Amino acid sequence: MNGFLYGVTLQWKLDIRSKSLLVTCYIVPLIFFLLMGGIFTSVMPEMGSTIIQSMIVMSVSMGAFIGLPPSLIETYGSDIKKAYKANGVPICLGLITMFLSAFVHLMITCVVIVLLAPILFEATLPIQLPFFFLALAIYITSSLSIGSVLGLTVKNQAKLTMIAQLVFLPSIMLSGIMFPIEFLPDFLETIGLIFPASWGYRLMLDNGFCFENLWYLTFIFFAAVIVCGIVLKKQKVK
Amino acid sequence: MNHAIQVRGLKKSYGGNIVLGGLDFEIEKGETFALLGVNGAGKTTSLECIEGLRKYDSGTITVNGKMGIQLQSSSLPAHIKPMEAVRLFSKWNKAKIDFTMLNALGIKEATKKQYIQLSTGQKRRLHLALALIGNPDIIFLDEPTAGLDALGRVSLHEQIRKLKSQGKTIVLASHDMAEVESLCDRIAILNNGSIAFCGTAAELTDKIGEKYFIHIKTRQGDSAFETDNIEDTLIALIGDLKQKEIRILDIKVDRGTLERHFIEMARRETE
Repeated sequence: MNGFLYGVTLQWKLDIRSKSLLVTCYIVPLIFFLLMGGIFTSVMPEMGSTIIQSMIVMSVSMGAFIGLPPSLIETYGSDIKKAYKANGVPICLGLITMFLSAFVHLMITCVVIVLLAPILFEATLPIQLPFFFLALAIYITSSLSIGSVLGLTVKNQAKLTMIAQLVFLPSIMLSGIMFPIEFLPDFLETIGLIFPASWGYRLMLDNGFCFENLWYLTFIFFAAVIVCGIVLKKQKVK
Repeated sequence: MNHAIQVRGLKKSYGGNIVLGGLDFEIEKGETFALLGVNGAGKTTSLECIEGLRKYDSGTITVNGKMGIQLQSSSLPAHIKPMEAVRLFSKWNKAKIDFTMLNALGIKEATKKQYIQLSTGQKRRLHLALALIGNPDIIFLDEPTAGLDALGRVSLHEQIRKLKSQGKTIVLASHDMAEVESLCDRIAILNNGSIAFCGTAAELTDKIGEKYFIHIKTRQGDSAFETDNIEDTLIALIGDLKQKEIRILDIKVDRGTLERHFIEMARRETE
């Protein structure tokens, strides 16, 4: 356990040193928050009640789909994974430590958004903060599980960049964070429901924490766990 | 049981390409053993099968003792620092955290650098330090001095000799003949996935033949000759030079280096 906790702490530090994760988990999401938060709330003042959730969806999507997968490729697409085998450590340890580390990074960013939004943009805080943070934790977990699948299944960085964008952009555009989902054509609304962003967004809204918004995120998580398990088992056998 | 490692009928193929065609060999406890071969001969695959890093198709591998594996460069995260790596590996191995090895291996000054900023030599030495965590009985070194400068090689060779003097079993894969010749008790030469030779350097020389190499230095330049009959050739060469009134400045006779024997053996196997 001691080794595991040290591994997570160390990974957290390595993520900070790795500029790509620093950029995708903190710098870009927070700049986006500062710019778009101001624009959204001045153009549409009614967005004050949802700006926190909207900005969180953007931050989590960026960190999970664009930030986490390259770190996984760095480990599982290279000889680094041999370090686990050579020391008798389960090969899934790298994934777990990176997952937990990314979870903490994203949670910090989200907490910063929650704290700053009311001060900067007169945003409304969620009424039931415990449920909000529980929903946030579930949403981050679900998004990171997709990021994990991307990082373990895509073999090179160039392909990954393209595929990550194919997941990231629809997540942002079709989740209802930019404009109400009802304005979208039906087929785009349906496509939007494939990604966890729209489900996470609804789950975090006031009175949104219900099974109807929760089941799909849970389903994504368990499906991703199975896929990751299969991929890692294949790597172990090789 | 004196064997540190026993390999029987080890087979491994990738698709239809047979990389190891049934290897048999043993490594004794406290021995320094080298796997030699040209690129693609199966050295790294053999080592990785023994280390448990790679699955093999058939055969048996018995390892008696705790293994320490010197991984190749690029097997650590780019931004990790040497002390962090030592701490992490120590925790994984439930071993006492001991940074003195970093000092002993001459990378103390690099402890504040990230892995990506280390030189090739520093990376190799760091990987050796990591392999020694937990006081292993058997140490695997894969191309330990590849990419190192002369000073780095000498320093790493000293460390390997120290380990040998401590009674460690050392298994190294290399294509550096001079290194193998100076460090190892026995060698196995891999060629096309099978062992072309297994024994001491002297046994290899015997197997290849009674070849002598004569190096003569004169004012006109240096010449080298290869012969099975040292006496007759020397007399003939000296007589010839005397007749031409060429003065001999220096003359050396040796049995050839392991490298020369290895090339010869590879040539024979190909034929």
